[in-house]
Order: sequence, then C-alpha cells, then structure tokens
Amino acid sequence: MAETTYSAEDFAPAPALASVQGISRPSLSYWQDAWLRLKANRRALYSLYIVIALLAFTLVGPVVWNIDPALQDLQQISQAPQADRNATIIEPYKPWDGADAPMVARLRLAEPPTTQAVRLVWGALPGAAGYRLYRNIFPVGEERAYGLPLFETLDPAKHHFEDRLDLRPQTYFYSVVALDGQGRLTDAFETVEAEVRRVITVEEAEAMGLAEAGQALAPGDRIKLQAHPLGTDYLGRDMLARLMAGARVSLFIGLVAPLIFIAFGVAYGAAAGFFGGWMDQALMRFSDFVVALPFLLFMILIRVISGVQPGESGVAPMVLAMVLLSWPATARLVRGQILQIREEGYISASQLLGAGAPYLVLRHMIPNTLGVILVTLTFAVPTAIFTEAFLSFIGMGVAPPTASWGSMCNEGIKTMLTHPHELIFPALFISITVLAFNLLGDGLRDALDARMRSRE
Amino acid sequence: MTTKAISSTSLAIRQLGLFAFAAVAGLAALMWGLNLLANLTASASGANSAVDAASNAITVLISSEPPQLDSSLSTDQVSGMVLGHVMEGLLRYDENNELAPGVAESWRINADSAVFRLRENALWSDGKPVTAQDFVFAWRLALAPDNASQYAFILYPVKNAEAINQGTQPPEALGARALDDRTLEIEFERPIAFFDKLTAFSTYYPVRQDFYESTDGTYGADADKLLYNGPFVIASWVHGQSLDMRRNPLYWNQGRIHLDRINAGYITSDPNTSLNLFKDDKIVLTGLTPENLTSALEQRWQIHRFMDGSLFFLELNHRPDRLTSNLNLRKALYLAQDPNELVYKVIKLPGYLPGVSLFPSFLDGPHGRFRDDHPPPAHRIDVAAARRHLALAQAELGLDEFPSLVLLTGDNTVSNVQSEYFQAVFKKNLGLDIKIDRQIFKQRLAKMTSGEFDIVMAGWGPDYDDPLTFGDLFASWNLNNRGRYSNPAYDEQVRIAQNALDAEVRMAAFANMQRIIHEDVVIIPSYDRGVAYVTHPRLQGVRRRVVGADPDYSNAYIVPEA
Repeated sequence: MAETTYSAEDFAPAPALASVQGISRPSLSYWQDAWLRLKANRRALYSLYIVIALLAFTLVGPVVWNIDPALQDLQQISQAPQADRNATIIEPYKPWDGADAPMVARLRLAEPPTTQAVRLVWGALPGAAGYRLYRNIFPVGEERAYGLPLFETLDPAKHHFEDRLDLRPQTYFYSVVALDGQGRLTDAFETVEAEVRRVITVEEAEAMGLAEAGQALAPGDRIKLQAHPLGTDYLGRDMLARLMAGARVSLFIGLVAPLIFIAFGVAYGAAAGFFGGWMDQALMRFSDFVVALPFLLFMILIRVISGVQPGESGVAPMVLAMVLLSWPATARLVRGQILQIREEGYISASQLLGAGAPYLVLRHMIPNTLGVILVTLTFAVPTAIFTEAFLSFIGMGVAPPTASWGSMCNEGIKTMLTHPHELIFPALFISITVLAFNLLGDGLRDALDARMRSRE
Repeated sequence: MTTKAISSTSLAIRQLGLFAFAAVAGLAALMWGLNLLANLTASASGANSAVDAASNAITVLISSEPPQLDSSLSTDQVSGMVLGHVMEGLLRYDENNELAPGVAESWRINADSAVFRLRENALWSDGKPVTAQDFVFAWRLALAPDNASQYAFILYPVKNAEAINQGTQPPEALGARALDDRTLEIEFERPIAFFDKLTAFSTYYPVRQDFYESTDGTYGADADKLLYNGPFVIASWVHGQSLDMRRNPLYWNQGRIHLDRINAGYITSDPNTSLNLFKDDKIVLTGLTPENLTSALEQRWQIHRFMDGSLFFLELNHRPDRLTSNLNLRKALYLAQDPNELVYKVIKLPGYLPGVSLFPSFLDGPHGRFRDDHPPPAHRIDVAAARRHLALAQAELGLDEFPSLVLLTGDNTVSNVQSEYFQAVFKKNLGLDIKIDRQIFKQRLAKMTSGEFDIVMAGWGPDYDDPLTFGDLFASWNLNNRGRYSNPAYDEQVRIAQNALDAEVRMAAFANMQRIIHEDVVIIPSYDRGVAYVTHPRLQGVRRRVVGADPDYSNAYIVPEA
C-alpha cells in the first residue's frame, strides 16, 4: 500500500468560478418545447396542415367557389367529375305531333336527336297489330335485349313517338317491336342508333347565367355548361359547393360542441377535485349518472322538447344533446389531475404564502392540466364530427336543402353503384377530417405529456 | 446518422406495406368467411331457385308482411295481393283483366237491385259450400261500427250500409239477403252503374260465420285462422319470414291454375336487395328503381312496364286558416312547376306519365279512354304569370312577406328527392321558402287528417275501375279529402256521377269535375305512376293489375326449358 502525503495546498478552498455549468442552448418554456416536439412528429404536423386546409376550405372556399349549394342544374344530374359539358343552344321545346311526319319505310329519327327530345317515326311492320318502343344503351344483340320499354300502342296506325325521358349525351339504341293482337311481342323488330347531342335553350342558359355579359345567345351557338369540378348530385347540385356548405355544419358542430362541454367539464372536474370530500362524492356520482344516459334516446328527447318545427334544422338540439351528455369524461380526467396536483409541494408553498382557492386553481392547477385538456379536445372533435355525420345519416340532423357530410352520405349511398362520386366525396371528407384530428391529438399527447420527455 | 434515418424510413415504409397487406388480406378472408357462412345458412333454410319446374313452384318477394288477412279489414297492397290468390269474390278479374264469374255463376243487375246465383261447386277449404249467408255475414262484419274497417265505405252502395256503419241502423237492416244458400239478393241505396266491378274487391269477399266465431277474434291472424275459397291456400305463414301458398285442391276452376306452389319466401322493401335476389335467381319478379335501371340493362333482361293506375299530386290545404286557401297563391304554385321536368329529369323511370288531370290515363269512358273523349286542360309552366298571381295573393292576404310553407311528405328515397326538387322549384320561380316535413306513413296520415300542412305530396290508387274512385275524393263529405276542399258545385257533379246510370251523363259530370279541379287548383297533378319490372324468363302469364291482386300469379305457368 503506497503512502499518500498531503500538502497544505490540497486543503485550500477551490477558486470561485464564474459559471460551473454553462447553458449553451436557449431556455425553453413548456409550450415552446411542446411545439418543437410536435414539429418533429411528421404525422402530427401533416395532420395540422390538413386541419388548417380544412378550415380554409370551409371559410375561404365559399368565397372562391361562389355557387349556391341548393341550386339545381337539371341539365347535369348525377354528373361525374370532369364530364364533357359542351352544349348547343336550341329553340325552346315545342310539342310535336308526329302524325304529320311523312310515312317512312323503316324506323328512323325524324329530327337530329338531342337531350331535349328524340323523335322517332317508323313504318308498318309485317303483321303488326300494335307496337312497343324500347330504348337501350347497349346494342340489342342476340338475346333480343331491347332495353327500357318507353311506349306501347295497340293502334297499328300509330307510327311516331317522342322520347324525353332522362336523355343524356350518349348513344342510344331504339327498337320498335311489333305486337300481336293480344299485345304480345312478335319477332318483327327494327333498331336505330341515336347519338344524342346535349342541347340547352336560350332561356335555360340565361337562367343558369351561362351567357357572358352582353352576349346574345342564338340557336346554333356552342356553349359550355356550368362547371362542376366534383360533379353533381341526384338533383344536379354542385358537389363542391355542397361539400363546403356541409363542412361548415360539420366543423361548426365538431368544434363548438367539444369547446362547450370541455369548458364545462373542466370547471366541474376542478371543483370536484379541489374541494374533495362529500362535494367530490356528490359531483362525481352525478357525473356517473349522466354517463349512464343513452345518447340517441336523449338526442331524440331533446329534439322533441326543444320544439324543432318540421323542416327546421336540428343543429341546435344536436349541440345541446352533445354538451349535456359528453362532459363527464373530461370532468373525470380533470378531477383526477387536480387530486394529484393538490398534494404537490408547490401548492402547499403557495398556500403558506397566503394564496386563496381561486388563485390556486386558476394559477397552478388548471394550467398544469392544460396538456390533458388539449388532448381531450382534439380527440373530442372527430368524435363530434362523426356523431353529427351519423345523426344526419339517420335523418336527425340538418333540414333540406342544407347539406352536411352525413346527410350527403345518406343520399349518396342510394346511388352508390351507378354514381359512386356522390358517396365517395363526402365519405372521404369525413374520413380525412376524423383521421387528421385523431393523429393531431396523438401528436399533441406525445408532445405535451411530461412523462414522455424522460424517455429520451 | 443519415444512414440510420434512411433505414428507419425504409423500415417504416416496409412496415406500412405489411400493414396494408395484412388489412387487405384480412378483409378478403373475412368476406370469404361471411360468404361461406351466408351460403351455409341459406341452404339450411332451403335455398330454392326462383322457378322450380320439378315441383311446379315459384318463389316471390313481398315488400312487407300483411298486418292480418281478414278481408273485411285489409287495406294494404300486399294483403290485397295475398287475398286475391287465396280468396274469391262473387266476380273476379281474369287473365285479360276482364270481369269473369267467380263464386257467382250468373247474375242480374237492375237499376235498384241485383241477384247473384252462386255456383254449387264453390267450396271452402274445409269442404263445405260457399253460401250466400257467407257474403251477408262478411259485409255486415265490414260495416260493424266496432270493427272500424277503413274500407267500409266501398259497401255503401248496398242499401242502409252507410247507416249501419254509422251505428244508426241495426246490421240486420242491410239490403243484402240470402234468399237460399245459393241466391244472394242485393238492394241498392241508390242506382249504381258499376256494382259488378265492386264485387271483385277484397272487402266484398265472403267470410263464414261459424269459422269466424271459432277463431275468437283472431280471424286472419295466422294460416290456420283463415278459411279459403280461392285458387290457393296458405300452407304456412312464418311471421316476418315467409308465406307459403299451395294449390287449393277444392277450388272449383282447377283448369285455370297451373302452379302448385307460390312461396313468398322473402319479405323486404329494399330495392337493392330485391334486385340482387332476382339476379341470384331467388325470386321471379322485381321492380326497378332509377338507380338500378342501368344494371338491369347490363344484365340484358327483358324489362316490362306497367301503369299501376295511381295518381300522385300535390294536395293543397283549403282550410280557411291556411294561406293555401287563397286561389291566387294556388294558381301561382300550379303555374310555377312543370310535371314534365319532374318526370323526365328527376324521376327518370319509364312508365311514368306527367300528371295533367285528377283522372289517370287508364280510366275508360263509353268509347275508349276517358281522356280521349274529355282531354284534360293543357298545362304550361309560366313563371311570369305565376309571379303575377303571387303578387295578387300577397295583396289579398295583406302580407309584407310570405312566410314559409310546409310541404308534408313521406320518409323514403322517392319522396325525399321529389320534395327537395319542389322546394328548389318554388324557391327559384316564386321566391317562396318551403319547409319539408318528412314523416313516416302513419304520422303523415295523422297530420294530413288534422290539417297540419300547406302542401302535401299525396297519392291515390283506384279501388274500383271507375272514374268515381278518383272523382269523389274531393267531395266535401269524403274523409280522404285531407285538404278539406268544399265546393257545392263540385259536390253536385259527384252526386250526378254517383246516381246516374247513363254513361254519357256520368262522363260529362267527370269532365266537369276535371274542369273544376283545374280552375280551382284543388290539387297540382304530378304524375300517373308507372312500374318498371323484370320477370323470370321461364314464368309466363303473370298479370299486373290496376285494380285487385297485383301482381297476380294465379294464372301463371312455367314454360319448359328450351
């Protein structure tokens, strides 16, 4: 074992240094730190962008795309996005008496076929006691699939027909089939192909505001119909305008209802947690009671009680029902946090320094629960949007012609197979919004949770 | 550091791909499993094909379950269809939609009375003969005030029927008497021109007293709580699931029945389910909606169409406390809309005819169609004139601004689309705000009765084949006149049509009604309803009827496979 010798210097006090630990980086507040973490989370950041974009879509969109969402463009019903919208101006519709049409040998078009009317004349078929006229969008073919029966007569002298039923700019195959005396189909038939051209009258074009200022429209002019970037619904209403209008309803409910019930839940939970004892017991048992209430039943009850007249919007009772029934979750969460914070040392210190109850709650306790509250809020928003969509889907929400995403889905599902865009767009908006809010909430929780920080 | 970031990104992508694959694969497996399960359960409940030539049976779909099958109480179309197969009245409609002898083998109708001679071989399904007393009992039953049958009024042409129904006369006072088992004598309240057509209606079907009383108030509630005299009997009725009809071996006219079994194996009112069942060869007939027309064309089916005789219209509320009691407002509404646009652009189904009159196109006059002899007044949309009438109405009513009008409608796809269309039309052309009040059928009827509407989207199907079934709808005493329209001049024409026997006089009265309805804008006709449907190619002889059992399979037969 080596001998160690100590000199007097060894016992001299250490020199006082100006700074032992230098803080090389700027000091960050809780919120700055949270923001940095959120920024590092790419999912949450993109979600935030989507939420901002949605708000812009809702608030700025109607200014940019200024179309009345209730306006029915009956020229373009259930139009898919990006459909051809060229049309020719034509004279107003005049009833046609085909009896004056010249007798012809075979089925043919009396006039060029247009979306206003397709006029057909035909000659006598062998042995016909009457005729039935069909229209198909496919060639008749081997199976003799004539298509839609449009007209039937047991008068062999009748040899003309005018079709005005839902004509679209496409090719139709018209067939006239001879009937026997009992009105049964015989084998004698003729087919003609009609390439229907889209037309519009001057009156209709002007009513839709298609003519440019000072432009006098005359029959024969080419014109472009109203543009519908996302297509139209079953009454020719612009999908984009309706989605924007629907977003207003959906986001209004999705933001207002959670804000109100979370504010109430925070106050309620803070009171219960701070005062404790019998008051805590009473308040929390009441909140348990509210949790047990069935939502849909109460929604209907509130709607009935609030005296919403038929044909009026059910948005107010919907918000009311959500507020009345959704606050207990927040209240429980906040109460738990407050109970924990109440026992912390800095609360005792503040109390010793003479702080009163309101000061303690507002200055120390609620700010310390803000992270939790914010996370709850971001998760409550998609839930509320979903609830609104669901209630509108079952017809308890907005009144026509107001649209909401849920009611648009409800309408779109009926034409899901033939015109899928009427369902896909509102459904897509609901999904994206709900997903964005959920991911944002997820990111916020990671960013704000103090315990997460220690893991790094 | 950089390499680590890249590898973590590529890892994330790989993970994402794995998740996506797992999700898709899981979904596919789930679908497959469900399909397998569905097939298993289907075969368990006996998955028959739509047409079973071996057992001479067909499977059909009914849109709802009959509430009960007591012919004196039934009102709905499905009950009418089932009853039309299992019961038979004095007369019936045959395969050409002509009146034919039913239980009655001969009959004579005079100005104030009628005598029906019943056939000897008309039997109940328990083997006892159908007697004249069975008809008298059934009619008294329908008229008994306690039973509150909604169709009691259809018996009113029989003497004292109305008084019995209102409780002022005893049931024995009814002007229908059984002279003996096979002779039924009927005295009329007043001369009637179409009594023979009425006897084919379900309220006129017979009910046997001893059997009715033995059921202890449950007559018609189940397959064994009903006695049959029609071409088919109900072999089993599983409530909510199926209703199985078999050939009635005791029916007198075996020659006209070809099928041994009609199984109503599916009960749903969903058009897509119905279409899929037809596509899967599970049912022999399905109606088509505008949404599935294209898919029917793609399947290359033979599509039929048929006018079911119903008229749909906007009925206006004529109660004095309603704005719509103002004639100029009604005229404005009438002129601002165009039924052609509604039918051709919004409804989009073949077979619908734009509405022009209270009397649908199928009604016959003495020389062919009623409509050919008395063409309805022409209608053209005229927005400028409509606005003039609206301004007049505003002045007459002393309004600064029109409050919104309530449009009462049903709660289904068709009414939703149409009500939103009308809402937009009246807003665009007249600047009127319309509030849509959607209600389920019962609730809508209640609101129509109490008058809680300005405009209601209503419809009316014929009960018998005579224009009067539409004409008396707006008589001031008719309870189905929900708008409470009351006009002595109109009532007078109804009285003429009810009492006159001469066809020309009656048609003139109907023409007058048509004119008054138009001039007074009692209703705004929307359309005569059509039906587009497809049937199984091997099933022939299915009849669609305006009046009576529809669709009627009783004469249908299966053609051998080619």
